[in-house]
Parts: sequence; C-alpha cells; structure tokens
Amino acid sequence: MCFLCLFVATCSAVSRRALIILLLLAISFGCKSGAGQRVSLPARVTRVVSLAPNLTEIVFAVGAGDKLVGRTSYCDYPPEAKAVAEIGDTLHPSLERIIALKPQVVLISTSSQLEVFTRQLQNQNIAVFVTDPHDLEDVFRSIQQVGEMLGQKEQADQLVTKLRERTTAVEQAVKGKQPVRVFYQVSSEPLYTAGHDAFVTDLMRRAGAASVTANVPGAWPKYSNESALAARPEAIILPTGGSMGSVNSDVTEALRQSPAALQGRVYKINDDYLTRPGPRAIDGLEAMARALHPDAFK
Amino acid sequence: MLEARDLTIAYDHRTAVADLTLSLKAGEITAIIGPNGAGKSTLLRALNGQIPKVAGVIMLDGQPLQRLNRRSISRHIAVVAQEAELRFPVTVLEFVLGGRFAWATNSGWGWETERDLEVANAVIEETELRDLSARLMNELSGGERQRALMARALATEAPILLLDEPTANLDLSHQATLLTLVRKRCDQHRSAALVVTHDINLAAQFANNITLMKQGRAVHSGTPQEVLTPEILQEIFEVRVLVDAHPITGGPRVTPIISA
Amino acid sequence: MNRVTLRKTLISCALLGAVLLLAIVSMSLLGSERLPARASLCALASLGSSACGLTQDQFDILFQIRLPRILLAAAVGGSLATAGAGYQALLRNPLAEPYLLGISNGAAVGTMISLVFFGAIEWTRPLLAFSGAFAATFAVYRLARGRAGATPERLILAGVIVTTFLSSVIVFVTTLMDATRIRSFTFWLLGDLSGSSKALLPVAITITILGALTLTLHARSLNLLMLGERDAFDLGVEVGRVRMVVFLVASLLVGSSVAASGSVGYVGLVVPHLARLSLGSDNRISIPAAALGGALFVIVADTVARTIIAPRELPVGAITALIGAPLFIYLLKRV
Repeated sequence: MCFLCLFVATCSAVSRRALIILLLLAISFGCKSGAGQRVSLPARVTRVVSLAPNLTEIVFAVGAGDKLVGRTSYCDYPPEAKAVAEIGDTLHPSLERIIALKPQVVLISTSSQLEVFTRQLQNQNIAVFVTDPHDLEDVFRSIQQVGEMLGQKEQADQLVTKLRERTTAVEQAVKGKQPVRVFYQVSSEPLYTAGHDAFVTDLMRRAGAASVTANVPGAWPKYSNESALAARPEAIILPTGGSMGSVNSDVTEALRQSPAALQGRVYKINDDYLTRPGPRAIDGLEAMARALHPDAFK
Repeated sequence: MLEARDLTIAYDHRTAVADLTLSLKAGEITAIIGPNGAGKSTLLRALNGQIPKVAGVIMLDGQPLQRLNRRSISRHIAVVAQEAELRFPVTVLEFVLGGRFAWATNSGWGWETERDLEVANAVIEETELRDLSARLMNELSGGERQRALMARALATEAPILLLDEPTANLDLSHQATLLTLVRKRCDQHRSAALVVTHDINLAAQFANNITLMKQGRAVHSGTPQEVLTPEILQEIFEVRVLVDAHPITGGPRVTPIISA
Repeated sequence: MNRVTLRKTLISCALLGAVLLLAIVSMSLLGSERLPARASLCALASLGSSACGLTQDQFDILFQIRLPRILLAAAVGGSLATAGAGYQALLRNPLAEPYLLGISNGAAVGTMISLVFFGAIEWTRPLLAFSGAFAATFAVYRLARGRAGATPERLILAGVIVTTFLSSVIVFVTTLMDATRIRSFTFWLLGDLSGSSKALLPVAITITILGALTLTLHARSLNLLMLGERDAFDLGVEVGRVRMVVFLVASLLVGSSVAASGSVGYVGLVVPHLARLSLGSDNRISIPAAALGGALFVIVADTVARTIIAPRELPVGAITALIGAPLFIYLLKRV
C-alpha cells in the first residue's frame, strides 16, 4: 500500500487523482491473506533473507539466526540481527543486494505489498515464502512453518508450545472479567486506529479488551475524531517507544476529555510488541492484559 | 507636447536608437518610417516610458518622463496596439472602458463613473462600433477589433497618440477609416500623433511630418514633400524608387522600381 | 452579459454569503456521529452559550470538532479559489492554478521541512509553507521568462517542471521518513482537514479574508492585466507592483491552506472558472465570488469525505478531485 502511495505521489497531477481513488478503494477493501503460502521450497535451506522485522525475529526465535544472510534496516531485534547484512528497508529492498547474497528463500510479509517484487525474485529462481498473520493463530502457524523450512522444527514447536502456554495463562486470568473498552491509537494527527483486520485487534480481544474499533472494516483505517470522542473509551493504548521513538506518545485531541484520559488509563506499550506479528506479540499481549486488568495478575 | 532630445538606447551590444531628436506638436501627425530594425518600435516604447534606461531626455509637457508615475503618463499618452490578447470573454464596451483606468480615483479598485460611460459611448460612436458594443471582443472581425483598440485609446482622452503599424493587418477601407479618425482627432482636439508605419504612401497623405530612421538615427525629417525624394529614399531603403505627384491629392507618391 | 456594477457585485456576494452561512449550519448537522438536529440548531444559534439539551459529548463534537473543521474547510477553500483566480488573471490563462504551477508542492515541501526538522514548533509550519510557496512561485516565474517576457505558455510549462521536480523531492523525503509516518503523511498530501490544531484556525481565516480583500482591491488592475501586460502598462497599471502583490498574496493563501490541510486540488481551477462563467470575467465580482464559492465547495466536499464511509474518513482532496475533474471536463467543452 505504502509503495503504491509513493508511486502515486510521483505521478502527474491528473493521473494522480485517478490513482488516488483506486488506492482508496483498495484500502477500504483491505488485504485478506492468511498465514504463509509456500512457493517452490528447496530441500535444505542454509541461506535465507528476511524482508520484515517480525520475520527476522521469528527466524532467530526458532534458532536459525545463523542462516539469516540478509535483513531490512528495520530488523533490529534481537541484537544479533544487527550484524546481518542490510538489503534496504521494508518498502524498498534492493533486488541486486538480495541476489548477491545468494539466498535460497526470501521471507516476505504481504503487508509490505511486494507482489511485483515477489515475481522478480521468482524469476531469479529464489523461492519466496509469503506470510501475513492476521491473528495469533496465524503467528503460531508462521513460526512452525518457518521453523520446519529452516530445519528447526523441534525448536519451533517448543517455542510455539511455550507461547501458547503464556497466551492461555493470560486468557484464563482475564476470563470472566468485564472487557475494558479500549481505543487503540496508531497515530494522533491524522487519527488512525486498528480495524477489524489488524493483527493487534485479535491481541486486544485476548487481553480482555473490547476494541471500540474492532468492527471497522480494514486494518488501519483513518478514524473520525467525532466517533472517537463519542466512543468514550475506558482505556487508550498508545503503541510507542520502540521503533517509533517518541512519536505517538500523546493522546489525540479528540480523546483528551475521554474517561480513559481523565482517569489516567492511558497505556504506552512498546510498538514493536504490537506491530510485529512474531514471538514478542505475546509480550504485547501480556503488557496489555496487565495494564487493563492489574488485579488479575497479582 | 512630447519631445525626445539626443535619445540613445542601447541593448546588449546593439544600439537601437542613437542621438535621436524628435518633437511632437499639437494637431500634427508625425510618421516614422524606416527599414526593419531601424529602431522605430524601440523609439515608440521609449516615448511611452516603457524603457527605463535611456540616455538623453524625453520631456512630456516640459517634464522629464522618468519623473512621472505610470498613471499620469497614461493620461497623456495613449498607445494604439496592433492586436489584443483576448483569452477571457469581454464585451466591446468593457474593453473600451478599460481606457478609463488612468482616470480612476482609487488605484486598482473603484467603479466606472457616469463620465467614464459617457466618454466610452462617445468614442464607440466615433469609431462606428455602436451596434457591436454589447458583443464579445473575440466575435469581432479583424477590422472591427482594430477600431475597438482605437476606441480604447481614444477613451483615455490622452492628447498624444502613439500608433505602432496600425494598418498592418487591415484592408484598404479600414486603413483609410483608421487614419481618418486619427486625423480628425488631431484636427478637432489638437492631439498629437506618432505613427510608425511601413506604408509610405499612406503616411504621405496623412502625416504633417515624416521622420526617416536608419540604424537608430533620425536621418531626415520634414514634410512629405521635403523628405520623400528618390535620393533620400534610396539612401534609407537602398532601393530605387519613382516619386511622382499623386494625380488627385497632389502629394508625393512613391513607387519602388523592381528591375527584372 | 451586462456590465458589472457595484450593485450587481453586492447582490451576488450577499447571496453567496447567505448560501455559505446556510452550508456552515447545515453541514455541521452531519457527521459520523448522529446529533439531534433541533438541539444542535438551537445550540448553534446561541453561539455555544447554551447546550439546549445536548449532552456534553454532543456539545463537544459540535463545537470542538465539527464547527472548527467546517470553518477551516471554508478558509482553505476560500484561499485556494482566490489564489487560483489571481493566478488566472495575472498569467492570462484560465488553466492556471496553484497545483499546476507547483505552488502547492512548494508549500508542501516547506511544511515537510518544518515537520521533520522543527516538529514541535507549530508556527514554523505556516511560515515555511509560505516560504516554500513563494520560492516555487519565484522559480516558476524566473524559469518562464524568455525574451518575449513570461508568456502564459512558458509559465505553464515552467510550472509543470517545478511541480514534477518538487514531487520528486517530496517522494525523496518520504522515503527518508520511517514507515509509520509515511502513511499519515501520504494521507495529508491528499488533503486532510481532520488534524489541524485549533490554534491555526484564526490565522487561516484571517489570511483568507485579508488575501481575498487585497486581491479584490486590485481587481480593476487585474481586469486590464488579463488582456495583456503591455496593454495594461500602457493604460496606467503598475504592472511590476501588481504582479508582486498577486504573487505574494497568492503564495500566502496557498501556503496557509497547505500548512493547515495538505494539498486539496481542483478548487483553484474549477471554482474561479465557474465564477467567471456565471458572473463574467470582471475580477471585481469574480474574485469575491470565487472566494465564497471556494469555501462552499470545500465545506461540502469535506462533509462527504467525513460521512461517506463513516466512521472512517477519506481525504478531502479525493472528493474535490472526484467532483472537480468531471466538472472541469464539462467546463472545457463549453468554452
């Protein structure tokens, strides 16, 4: 999507307008791919490139970090990842650099909208593994698939088991408690939130929250200030402090008189936990649950 | 009324006008004639105050032109353009009323007064555009448009008229009409007119004075009889001419001799 | 068409003003949240002093969110239409508009610089937007000067060059931004009236009114300029001075709009056209009419943008394009 946006910005004024309308229609339909789709996999994989931070984290988490030969500039976790060669950012990876690293498979997240890119890689006989987890189950599936693909099946299964345990523990702790009405603020100006298709919406549900925008179509809709105000959320989650730095650390103006703001129930959570569908998502889940239902975790 | 003394205008490395002295008198039509590139149009623009850097003096009613502001110059000098840029629809009346701008009390704003309308309608009458005054300018023919340009210049009530090849795009009847208008103005209102033209014979009939320019200099000046001689014309245009007396008007008639 | 008189001007402007007021009131009843119409009208009539039975939330929605946004839309629309009318008169080209000439891209680059380098300091936004707009205007004008002076054709060409150059600069800067900012910035680039803080609103409105007034006060000069710079000069217009005034004022108007709401297109092109078509080319009437018409146009477009897929929003620039492009094609065919 973002790639298209930038492409659109470079077009001439007239065709730009037409593309904008198409773009917006596309946004409103959202993207609906599920967990990983495999494309022509080699027997034994020793060289892999990751084109998304969550995928990099998954590779290291299943113990295959030594097989990672390329990563994006945004892939900063775990710290060992920083030693791996960079091949550009998530939106503009360099095809040449990737080819030069001679990987056998490239891991791509469809939220980066790299379909054209995918085709180019396949033309170079490089296998492409595409995944876009929409919920936690998709994440677990991705971990297992990546683990199996990189010869770390056992470790992957163990990891997933542990993550499932932690998830179940959280869900049990908040079971029976009244879900807290939450507003998830992606950015304050303009106001963006998490919609029905966003990964974090599933996390919030499991953490004992009722996202006031859970039924809004799309993944990251631009939201009306009025509706945010009228929603009167009891808590506000601000993903910030991770890769985002200090951006988005203030509540948007329309919500400054909300019950959440007035009672101080504004929770800043590391945005990397909430925006990367990988093992650290459970950290995000736990952080949200603890913030929203502190009495359940004494 | 309008005088240029030792006027010299230089562009880049070219001298467009050199040491030119000229004087326009009330009631007289002065024609400027010369080959292409002689500096005629440059002279005209300078007399209108359009060229800021000139050596020599241009005096308007005894005052140096540089000291006067745009608006007061426009009240004294009117330029009759060759053609108008008509990218936006405008009626003939609105077009002619544009000539009243120089008399507006507020700069840039204000509404036309009764007097403005009177003057505009009078000149529209004078230029025989009364039936067309509500029509759009770009619906008019070439000749009609030229009359409208003339009307606008006359609407300024400026006593000095500068015309740059006004007959260039006109057919015979319109050429005559236009110059008759100018003649009438000079006779009845004591205006002075400067006409840059290629048409020597027309100038011979209408002008009181003819100034011949070559390479930026005013080489000869005087009545048509005085300056329209074969020797002078050959000097200026480097072409052999026959000059005889016009059978009806009696003035000089110039015919170039083109050898086979 | 009759000659434009003071009376005709006053009547037309009064009518348009009344329609604008009606639009402000009626559009403030529409939004992603339903408000009771009677109570809202009552509260509006009391100018906010009485809640007339609205809940605190409803009152806040009406007066803190909707009304400021509508007023900002009016300011942005008025500014862009006035600037468009000014450019069209000065450049003698009915197709001149702030976007085509790269002025809004200049303002956008200025705003981006202020966001990236001076993020926290709010007043740098309109200031740098204005500087960017003016720099772009200046660049276009200098580029277009040939031996025959800056003909409208050369100006449009220069404008296209500057626009595309600045678009590339914008793309370049957005690639330097991180992914999280890009989404919101792209939305802003398409015109977004939802985010502006209320501090900028009085400034924006003041600039719109002052700008429209200034250009209207030069309307007679512009009438002559529209028919040729040389002719205008001959007839007594101080061409250089008027040109500078129009450039400065138009840059200010565009800069203020872009700083507040990003790039809202087609307003500066379509609205002045409509004004001239219905009221005549005389700028004394078409400039104030364009200002009022532009305000109306953007208010309506923004209302559509914020209600059509409620509770989500579209960028207002998409709506002005959807309405403006077909309208412009229709206008072209008529001329």
